Amino acid sequence: MYTEFSQLPIEKRQDIEKHWWKKIHRMDLLYLCYGITIVSLVVISYFLGAFNLLPFDPEEMDLDNMMVGIGAEGHILGTDFMGRDLLSRMILGIQAYFLPGLLAIVIALSFGSFLGVLSGFYGGRIDTGVTYFNNLVDSFPRLVLILLVVAAFKPDIYYIMIIVGLTNAPVVAALIKNKIQFLKQKNFIESSIAMGLPTHLIIFKHILWYNCRSILIIQATLGMGEAILMETSLSYLGFGVQEPTPSWGNMVQAGSNYLMQGNFWPSTAPALAIMFTILGFYLLGDALNHILEGRKS
Amino acid sequence: MNTHQQTGDTWLSPVQSLAHKLNLDSPWVKHKLDFVMPMGVTIIRELLLALALLFGVSLVVFTILYAAPGDSFSLLLSGERSASATEEVAQSLGFSNSWFGQYSTWLINILHGDLGTSIRTGQSVFENVVSATINTLNLTLAAMLVTLIIAYPIAIYTSVRSATPLNGPLTIFAYVISALPLFWLAYIGIFVSTNVFDYFPLGIGLGVEDDMEIMQFLLPVLILGIGSGTVSEVVRFLKLEISRVLEEEYIRTAKAKGASIWRHGFKEGLLLPTSQIISSKIPFFLGGAIIVEQVFNWPGMGRMAWQAAQDRDFPVIMGIALAAAILVRLGSLVHRMIYIIVNPRASHE
Amino acid sequence: MKRIDIAKFLVITFIVISSSMASAAKRDSGSLAYGEYGRPATLDPITSNDMISLRITELLFNGLVGINEKQEIVPELAASWSSDEEGKYYTFKLRQDVKWHPKEGKEAEVFDADDVVATYKIMMHAKTITPLKVRYEFIESVKKIDNYTVEFTLKRPVLNALAKFTFKIIPKHGPANPVYLNREDPFVQYPIGTGPFRLKEVTADREVIMEANPDYFKGKPKVKEFIAKPFADQNIMNQALTFNAIDMIVLVNPRHIPELQGDKRFILQPYNALSYSFFGYNVRNPLLADKRVRRALTLAINREEMLSSFFNGQGTVISGPFAPGSWAYNLDVKPEPYDKSRAVELLKEAGFVEGANGMMEKDGQALNLSLKVPIAKESEAIKRVVLAFKGYLKKVGVQVEVQFMEWQAWKEAVFEQHQFDVVFASWVFDDSADISSLFHSAEVGAWKNNFGGYENEKVDSLIVESKLTLDHEKRRTIYRKLHAVLADEAPYTFLWTLTNYSAYHNKLRKVAIHPYKFFSFADSWFISGGK
Repeated sequence: MYTEFSQLPIEKRQDIEKHWWKKIHRMDLLYLCYGITIVSLVVISYFLGAFNLLPFDPEEMDLDNMMVGIGAEGHILGTDFMGRDLLSRMILGIQAYFLPGLLAIVIALSFGSFLGVLSGFYGGRIDTGVTYFNNLVDSFPRLVLILLVVAAFKPDIYYIMIIVGLTNAPVVAALIKNKIQFLKQKNFIESSIAMGLPTHLIIFKHILWYNCRSILIIQATLGMGEAILMETSLSYLGFGVQEPTPSWGNMVQAGSNYLMQGNFWPSTAPALAIMFTILGFYLLGDALNHILEGRKS
Repeated sequence: MNTHQQTGDTWLSPVQSLAHKLNLDSPWVKHKLDFVMPMGVTIIRELLLALALLFGVSLVVFTILYAAPGDSFSLLLSGERSASATEEVAQSLGFSNSWFGQYSTWLINILHGDLGTSIRTGQSVFENVVSATINTLNLTLAAMLVTLIIAYPIAIYTSVRSATPLNGPLTIFAYVISALPLFWLAYIGIFVSTNVFDYFPLGIGLGVEDDMEIMQFLLPVLILGIGSGTVSEVVRFLKLEISRVLEEEYIRTAKAKGASIWRHGFKEGLLLPTSQIISSKIPFFLGGAIIVEQVFNWPGMGRMAWQAAQDRDFPVIMGIALAAAILVRLGSLVHRMIYIIVNPRASHE
Repeated sequence: MKRIDIAKFLVITFIVISSSMASAAKRDSGSLAYGEYGRPATLDPITSNDMISLRITELLFNGLVGINEKQEIVPELAASWSSDEEGKYYTFKLRQDVKWHPKEGKEAEVFDADDVVATYKIMMHAKTITPLKVRYEFIESVKKIDNYTVEFTLKRPVLNALAKFTFKIIPKHGPANPVYLNREDPFVQYPIGTGPFRLKEVTADREVIMEANPDYFKGKPKVKEFIAKPFADQNIMNQALTFNAIDMIVLVNPRHIPELQGDKRFILQPYNALSYSFFGYNVRNPLLADKRVRRALTLAINREEMLSSFFNGQGTVISGPFAPGSWAYNLDVKPEPYDKSRAVELLKEAGFVEGANGMMEKDGQALNLSLKVPIAKESEAIKRVVLAFKGYLKKVGVQVEVQFMEWQAWKEAVFEQHQFDVVFASWVFDDSADISSLFHSAEVGAWKNNFGGYENEKVDSLIVESKLTLDHEKRRTIYRKLHAVLADEAPYTFLWTLTNYSAYHNKLRKVAIHPYKFFSFADSWFISGGK
């Protein structure tokens, strides 16, 4: 039966905290390793890009060697439609997502938790208002809303990510609200209040940290994936990250112009990068979720 | 039927959760519920909510358009334009200049059932949006079906038999196909279709002379179903729901008695989650439809939205935003109704 | 049981979907489907302002006069014409055997002078929104002499006025509103004309189907049907051609030329476009006000290399403000070849010194230019050119910030606020080769065409002089001088005129293409029988 971690006897808690790794499922360990590898690759790439430690200058053009294949002229992954080194641009491309993607996640999680706690904890009119807001955001296809904003203002990755963040907030809010209602049902919150705990402690420590962290982690990893895919779709429509700044999305788009002629690599390489990265985030989220919650098997 | 019997303490009974969702805490409403069919209440509530939401949607879209630099009238005067010419055009089209003036004009017109005409083509927005919406609806419904066909076996297999060696690979497969860029997948799909099957998969109006027309609709539907990015979430959600239901007492009882758990688990474990996930994923599919419609020349809302956003074709953008919101609300309404139908207990409360 | 039900359900769903979508008209072998990159907005010749619509109206309508393949003026709806000595009055005798396309279920009406008068009045009405108005302000009035004679009075004599009477005539009984035409009039979507083809149907996807007009006054065209098929993706459009889903592409993307060249089924036909591309400079920036700097930028970029790398060499590098195909172009002014060191020299002459990081600077101010470019979905060629520009200039120590902007925002930044240093754009010309609005100092200001703010007395006086003369040879001499001055002054870096290519299936014969109207001669195209 369900027992709160914080309500377990102290010895058992210490036991779990000491030996938590023993309980990890083999599969989760695998996922975790893969996820951590991907995340560290992303972070390494970010710093490689930030300190300009790249095999080639990513903006150096070579009009005699446009669209060359793998390994030609020392270009490990070949070149793009301007004769620029694909690998260097792929490494640099992570810059387009790293900080903006984090921003999207932070907005989604903080704003979503805020709304969720408001409506779950206080209920009543506030809940009605929050529900209306959530329904409103849900009524827009995200891509349409983003397309509208970038077409109306300017194609800026931060505009895109702010909207991705805002539109993801309702999902987080709904999950947290449900969790709080569930805890309320179990009189968990009432007893905490009766114990004289201050409200902020209940909300931040007992609700968000002890009970909602797996929700937050899953949503964070999903959010990163969505941010990358959204930018890719916008790149196809012409409104993603703009040249000469590389992003995986605009690289897939530029490469896909040659895909029908059988030149797969220039679009497939960044597409695979997108796939493996998002997969990494998903699996990391899953593994952390299972580890924190305890896998039911 | 005794409704209090199964209200265990580990989960919300459908009645309770319905009451939560509908916000039916007040005694007056509860009392009324004894007399009015909950279905009717639900429909009325949903419709009122939908109206309020449509109002909100129009306000948001309008604000974005109004705050945007540039104006939609310059489109008509390519090249030669001046401030006064723009005024003239705006006047002749019957637009007032102030924020409030424009919005209230639009609102009054729409209350008369008039969505206006496209600035670009001069055609009726209503007619165009309706025909585009129907085309998009066809695409998205079929694509959802594809998504469910992929997601169900994976979800059921992995949640019922949780410790098989296929479990991991299946989950990863669901994740992988959700992580592929949609238009790249569409290009690959076309490449494979043309080069491997020697078949050109776009057919609307092209009148390719053979009987494979159904194929022309299959590829876009498949691509959107696979690549909309929702498979992994659908699998995750279904898994959660199925394993939750499998732990229910009445399922356990049924299992212990040797009865088929499927008959018991179907409604709770499959039907409800399905309608819920479908209704909540409509916006995603509509978003993905923009890409698929561009690639496959599908004459739907997505293509229209892209064109209109580029032209700042103000009445068309409004029309599409409203149509999309209506689809989302419809999805939600259908889900609520299925909820009540599946839980006849709700009508006895 | 349940599985079978699901399978049935799937099949039924797909059938329902496909049957609801499959209004696809079967094409017979006499029809010609051509791909367009985008959908036409309106189909009448007055309100339409995009190339796609322009091409369609060419099939549906006729002007009083037309232009043949040798660019000579030939009779169309007017059988003959005359003008007074001064060139102020033009009288057109109309053909008497022309019928309008029939309205549904009605008899075809006869074309007469009233239609010409109505067209002019509708076109010039204050409430009609049309880009044509500016071009026809030189006409004072139009008068019906008899049923088949009209007389135009000009405000002042104009050079080559006859060529301007190519505007398309619409029927007086066409528009629902006989006074002015706006986009809400049903006529703009379902127009009737006198042309070789008449509108049959516009599908939900805005695919325009036109059928041969059996009563066409020049004889029934040989192609049975023209279908304009809009595509949203150029790569897919090219695939559609190679899989015979369409028969023709009006303008082939340069990157697809090699592929189509190798395919024997298709013919690539070049046609000259009366247009050129350029980098335009904003001389309001004090650093760019110096002509030496602008010339240095021109010398620093390798136009030949770009042309051969990005456009397969299909074009001509130009030196001045006219298309090389036009009579005004001065072939004696040669484009200056790429010369990096000369560019650096010129910059140094202009007072620039090499700064610490190799960047050119003057009085501590680095030469850092913002290049604004509008976003287009299919923009590989544009991206290539502007990125190459940035790359070339970096080598001579000039920093370029490329900024892609949404189309409307770009127009505002460039034409209204003039907040830019460099733009990349193209001008498309009609037959008049009139460049007065591009470089005359009176055209400096918000929403005027001299967006770079370029002012030069000599250029002004040459433009005025050219406007005053009515003699073709004299004007040509003036334009040649103007060309030389502008090449030296470099308010633009003139790049190139590209050779456009149309690709079509080799079953299509006798194809002649008009430079920008495209379908002017389509009534004599034919499709050879058999496959």
